Amino acid sequence: MEEEILKLLIQLLLITLIIIYGAIAYTMLYRKWRTSRLKIIESTFAKICSLFLYPNPNLEPNLIEIQRELKSVGIVPSKPRNVQYLIDLMIRTQRSILGVNYIKLKTLFTQIPPYGASASKLNSKKWYIKARGIREIYEMDQSQYTRDLIKLRNSDNIYVRREAQIGIVIFLGWKSLRFLPYLKRQMTLWQQIKIVEKLYDLYPVPDLNHLRRAYNSDRPYANELIMRIIRKFHLTEDIAYIIQFIDNPKFETREAAIYCISSFLLDEDQIGEIKEKFYNISNTEQQLMLLKYFQRISMEIDLPFYKDLLYNGNDSIKLSTADILWSNGYKEEVQDYYYQQYTQKANSDFISV
Amino acid sequence: MEIDLYYYIFWALNYFFLFYGLCLTALYFFAILLSNRSVTRNKRKARFLQVNDIVSASDIPSITLIAPAFNESRTIVENVKSLLALQYPFYELIIVNDGSTDNTLKLLVDKYDLEPFDSTFITQPIPTSTVNKIYRSRKLQYKQLTVIDKNNGGKSDANNAGINFAATELVLCTDADCIIEQDALLKMVRPYLEEFDQEIVACGAAIGIINDSVVKNGVVEKLRLPDRLIPMIQVVEYIRAFLLGRMAWSEINGVMLVSGAFGLYARNRVIEVNGFNIHTVGEDLELGIRLRKHMEEIKVPYKMVYLPETLCWTEAPDTINVLIKQRDRWARGLWETMGLHKDLFFNRKYRDMGLFYYPYWMFFELGAPIVEFIGLLSLIIFTFLGLINWSIAILLFTSVYLLGCIFSTISIFIYVKNFKHYNTGKDVVELLLAAYLEPFVYHPILILGQIQGYYKKIFGVKSGWGNMDRKGFQTLPKEKADRS
Repeated sequence: MEEEILKLLIQLLLITLIIIYGAIAYTMLYRKWRTSRLKIIESTFAKICSLFLYPNPNLEPNLIEIQRELKSVGIVPSKPRNVQYLIDLMIRTQRSILGVNYIKLKTLFTQIPPYGASASKLNSKKWYIKARGIREIYEMDQSQYTRDLIKLRNSDNIYVRREAQIGIVIFLGWKSLRFLPYLKRQMTLWQQIKIVEKLYDLYPVPDLNHLRRAYNSDRPYANELIMRIIRKFHLTEDIAYIIQFIDNPKFETREAAIYCISSFLLDEDQIGEIKEKFYNISNTEQQLMLLKYFQRISMEIDLPFYKDLLYNGNDSIKLSTADILWSNGYKEEVQDYYYQQYTQKANSDFISV
Repeated sequence: MEIDLYYYIFWALNYFFLFYGLCLTALYFFAILLSNRSVTRNKRKARFLQVNDIVSASDIPSITLIAPAFNESRTIVENVKSLLALQYPFYELIIVNDGSTDNTLKLLVDKYDLEPFDSTFITQPIPTSTVNKIYRSRKLQYKQLTVIDKNNGGKSDANNAGINFAATELVLCTDADCIIEQDALLKMVRPYLEEFDQEIVACGAAIGIINDSVVKNGVVEKLRLPDRLIPMIQVVEYIRAFLLGRMAWSEINGVMLVSGAFGLYARNRVIEVNGFNIHTVGEDLELGIRLRKHMEEIKVPYKMVYLPETLCWTEAPDTINVLIKQRDRWARGLWETMGLHKDLFFNRKYRDMGLFYYPYWMFFELGAPIVEFIGLLSLIIFTFLGLINWSIAILLFTSVYLLGCIFSTISIFIYVKNFKHYNTGKDVVELLLAAYLEPFVYHPILILGQIQGYYKKIFGVKSGWGNMDRKGFQTLPKEKADRS
């Protein structure tokens, strides 16, 4: 009986193994075939684009012919992967072309299939299809779908809402700050980076009205986003906004504030304000970052401040302070401090003996 | 009476092995499902955060790559050249010369035009062996390179010295003899950019084997399967370990080990736990567990993640002796680490880590070689006692062997499906053959190495890292490399 069961098990395992071999073989063969298909689509697309951008003077590009040609290489609704590949090619091409040709390509893409493929993805239940659709919409500059993107800005899925938020920034520019600081969910570092970059690339002139209205948001991610915007656009008149977060209880907000403030040259009052906040920072590494920053931007050494740190800071702060004082010519102060430490230690050893 | 006792032990052991085997098989099947989900999800996510986007971004976290070097004069200049060429906008490289007795430091100083700078007041949040000098290059093209010259203290100590000196948010610890993919940092930083409700404390990626491949200017020019069987089987072993094991753990936030050869850590967290433990040879696992414990204690939601892509290549031992030494060391490291953190065992305070992950490591990672060893011994003893039904035993062995083959074949399938490193029919057939020979040729050697390591720990035999002789990569000569 046991032998029979084991023999059956072995047969089952052998069949499983054979099925996996089949899967491996199929994967490899399919990949080979698929690569050759994609090459055909790519070369057809390249031919169409070059014909459209640089047409033969005697021969106008025939759109029906182009559509037929695309259909013959498999660009049909029943083959969504081919359609997807074509869309990717369109985006790649559009990204690498500027000027008149960019406009021409945009026109071409509205006239050839697939039609409305990206917008239809917004209704998909799968997050990666929906997010892809949003990305295609903003990459292909289809601003007519802005309203749909606004609806998706608080989506449960991080990728869907991230892409939607980026799309909103691309289409609305500084006006998007009406929504972004008041989102229901957290924003990742990448979302913040992307939003700031898109603003900088597409809307390089800051609209301070919209920005300053966003200052009212108390959401930590919004504070970080605004600080990054101030830094990127070098808005020196709004430095105070960053300074207020230098001693924020939240580590990430403090980190962003220190990072952003480090790209500004401050006046004495502003430095003084940060020095007051310096003592409230609970993380030594962040304090060290600020000390390095002070050293970089200060014209003169604030001796009382550094001496206070030398005598009252923790070991890492003391070492860094000593380094700053020593390299700025205050060797005596450092020597005095260490001499005092030495004598204190000697006295305590003497007492304990 | 005596026969009864033997019979009783025989059946008790039989049921124990059956139960242990069934648990392990169930876990492996579960791992396949999880890892497949994890790999697919990673691929989907990667579409929305491509390396081209990251490379042009301005606010991304800065990274310091720390590579300890001990007597690496043969390869150090080339390796540093390759590490300097990594793509990342905010990147520093620290080479820690860990008291080399050859001319490693001199070669670096000469080649990269290094000069010492005043290091009197360098802060050292993690205590290390004495740092003698810190060097930086006079040349602008090497401005991101720093060389720390310190007394010998071992790899962990050297890593700690690098972490002390780094001034970036993230630190990547690697070995100076590893070949890192050019876009590896851009890919490794993804989880740090994307996470919002959990802090990423460590991130690892798959490591591949590069024996007999061609390396040009510190980049893998042509990836080949190793010629010899031992490293070839290790290719399968690594694929299985990283693709099935680590990716499955990553899916349920159960990663405890980020490989010491290639691991990206949040520097502030590593400093908070006082860096790598210099008293164990399993320093990577120990740090992973300590980081997790720390995060559990301070009650900050966290994650340790793995990427399925192979971003780092290393040379695997290609002789039995070196392999045994390596596995002996890994076994000792595991033993030490499990011992150091035995308070985790079924400790509800540490939630899933205490209730599931640590016990798994205890039973199935630490315990497996012992169970296998006992299995072999009992097979011999019960054969002499005539208690074994050979027809059933052979059938059972065939079933278990086939199960093992299925797991290896599935990992090769997932690899072939998702990655293009070994994509010819010949490569796949060779990998499959290597996988099927593993239980006969390779596995007994592993058991020997692991049991040797445990023996040393149990009987207090002193042993360190052991000398890991390497053959070295096949590097194209300069003229040939330039031409190609």
